Amino acid sequence: MKKRIVLLVIGFAAVFGFLLATNALAIDKVVIGHPACLSGKYAKAGEQAIGGVKACIDWVNNVYGGVLVAGKRIPLKYKYYDCESKKEGVTSLIERLITVDKVNVVFSAYSSGLTLSGAPVAERYNMVYMDHGGASDRIFQQGFQYIVQTIGPGSKYHVGTLNMFDHFDPKAKKIALAYEDSEFARMTMGGAEKHAKKLGKKIVFMRTYPKGVTDLTPLLSDMKAKKPDIVLGGGHYEDGQLFARQMSDLDINVKGLSLVASATLPAYYKALGGNIAEGVLGPSHWEYGVTFSPEGAMKVGLDWIGPGQDEFVKLFKKALGKDITPDYHAAEAGAQVLAYVKAVENMNSIDQDKVRASLGKLKFMSFYGGWDVDDKTGMQIGHSMVDMQWQKGKRVIVWPLEAATGKLIYPKPKF
Amino acid sequence: MKKNIVKYYPLIPVLAVYLIMFLIGFFMPGMWQMVALLAFYCALGQSWNIFMGMTGYVDFGYVTFIALGTYGMSLGITYFSQFEWLGMGIIVIGLILAMFLAALAALLEAAIALRLRGAYFAIACIGINEGLRYFIEGAKIWGGSEGLIFFGALTQSLGRETVNQLTTFWADFSVFVIAALAAFLNMHYMRSKIGYALTAVREDEDAAKVMGVNTTKYKTLAFLTSGLLGAAVGAMAWGLKLGHVYPGDVFVIHYTIECIVVVLLGGAGTLLGPVVGGLIYGLSKYWLAIIMPGFQLLIFAPIIIIIIVAFPEGVIGVLKQRVKRTALEKYIV
Repeated sequence: MKKRIVLLVIGFAAVFGFLLATNALAIDKVVIGHPACLSGKYAKAGEQAIGGVKACIDWVNNVYGGVLVAGKRIPLKYKYYDCESKKEGVTSLIERLITVDKVNVVFSAYSSGLTLSGAPVAERYNMVYMDHGGASDRIFQQGFQYIVQTIGPGSKYHVGTLNMFDHFDPKAKKIALAYEDSEFARMTMGGAEKHAKKLGKKIVFMRTYPKGVTDLTPLLSDMKAKKPDIVLGGGHYEDGQLFARQMSDLDINVKGLSLVASATLPAYYKALGGNIAEGVLGPSHWEYGVTFSPEGAMKVGLDWIGPGQDEFVKLFKKALGKDITPDYHAAEAGAQVLAYVKAVENMNSIDQDKVRASLGKLKFMSFYGGWDVDDKTGMQIGHSMVDMQWQKGKRVIVWPLEAATGKLIYPKPKF
Repeated sequence: MKKNIVKYYPLIPVLAVYLIMFLIGFFMPGMWQMVALLAFYCALGQSWNIFMGMTGYVDFGYVTFIALGTYGMSLGITYFSQFEWLGMGIIVIGLILAMFLAALAALLEAAIALRLRGAYFAIACIGINEGLRYFIEGAKIWGGSEGLIFFGALTQSLGRETVNQLTTFWADFSVFVIAALAAFLNMHYMRSKIGYALTAVREDEDAAKVMGVNTTKYKTLAFLTSGLLGAAVGAMAWGLKLGHVYPGDVFVIHYTIECIVVVLLGGAGTLLGPVVGGLIYGLSKYWLAIIMPGFQLLIFAPIIIIIIVAFPEGVIGVLKQRVKRTALEKYIV
């Protein structure tokens, strides 16, 4: 009798084990869900993000062979809807993606506001929620357990820039900070202030200006009186142009000028011309031309995954069917796909808690650069911004040195 | 007594629609956020209709109330969540603050803008909305342009599970309640002296004045009611549900335009109109965003134009004519 019971238990265990194993094997696809911004105020960034995601999914499925789970290569699928860059759209579509489409991971919509709007729904369903468009540090101070960031946090935008100036000219101590009064720019300014002080620099001027500003001369005149070595500032494309133009009008020549969210745009040089734009710097999450490579990854002891830069650009153009160059919105969304694939493979599971834990421990490099998040908060800490400088009408990456495509022109040529 | 009950019969189809929506959302997996979206549009339409439908004044700055409601809730939670003993009381405080801010704005706006008519009234309302937004950003009050993010404070105060339930269920459920309350108030005003006075204002304000109607009093009452309901929707659907507020995300005229479209689709000045309008608007947008992401607005615009051409007085406006002198007449208002 006892023998029979033992055999029965063993039998059940075997069947149970088999079912578990077949369940793992039964996964035939891994689906990424995305309430994308295809229309509304973030439509441009949204289109880039979709192109980036599609390009990397194409690479994973057709070059890499699929996601390796339980010894089997499984294809990635992409399900996206248009949230119209609106918070109501984000919440309703995320729930649909999770409950109806049964996606395995949700990518956030663009911007900090929309990322925050979707986070409570993702948390409710214990769903890994990957943020490639919300740069606000405060998102990661709210106690969300399933959120993971790919985009660099706002407070880190000028960290690399300051490191670069310190590397080339440690004697340049006087820093001026003049940013637009917006959540993003204030976050950037706060981070720059903190890091400048850490490097032993002196903040000689620190002020914000309102959105939609049409005249910066009073602010710039005050700033001129403080005789800064380095000026960091900006906020948007329009005020970034005005900033440099009026600095030129007032003949404010400094050793270094870096402007966020404007100087990196190709139209910037065209709009301002060589005299004004030459030598202006801008931080970016990624720029076409960066030189991250498997060899570079090996040097710093990181795993490499994903296409090289040129391959990514080719796949991006194929995905959108347009001859446009991807910008950092595309690169960070694409890198997020690669991060998810690595996390799933490292844990050999698509279970939400396991993937979240795996993402917390993950460190790797791709065409986008380094990737590493704070295990507890999910905030990106491993990705360094690159700094580009306008040199004779061309955007040259000058920092970090391992990604640089040219040398920094320092001090900045006079206006 | 029976006469009193009969006059509320038109509430039956409205409440029935809300009940069906609620049941669909509650029992069908994955439908809750969708019905919450529909309830949001219905509640906003119903609230906006109380003032516009009855007086004919088009308030383009209506989103001010929704935004102030969001700020009220956000301030309540941000500043009172540190007092743990308050528990759920912080949400009540938030709602009270939302009502207070909206009442203050409605009375100030009434004093300034309600003296104006037509396009001047509309422009004044837009001006107040924009002015308030830039005041918050420029004066750096309530977090300025950085807004308030309080999801973490709420979680610390009430616990993760409770907050999950609050943000993804109870906040939406309360929008249903506000929508039903708006319908009741709409009906009550329509069937009382207030409604007659407001109708007189809509038809000919000067004549109403000559006849002894205190137009200022009734206009202010309708404006205040409409504003308070909008603020309640903002407090729950944007404040409590999303756990953050940025001025640039809430003082957005686009939402007033949505109120106008919802009401005009269903029928301005009708009770069932904003509900039907909200359903048509919300469902079209939701499904088109799913079926053809990125192209939905191209399809959506002709749909709206076709409906407006086919039903110039709104769907319910036309239906009302059709059911005249039938048993359904008492239900379709």
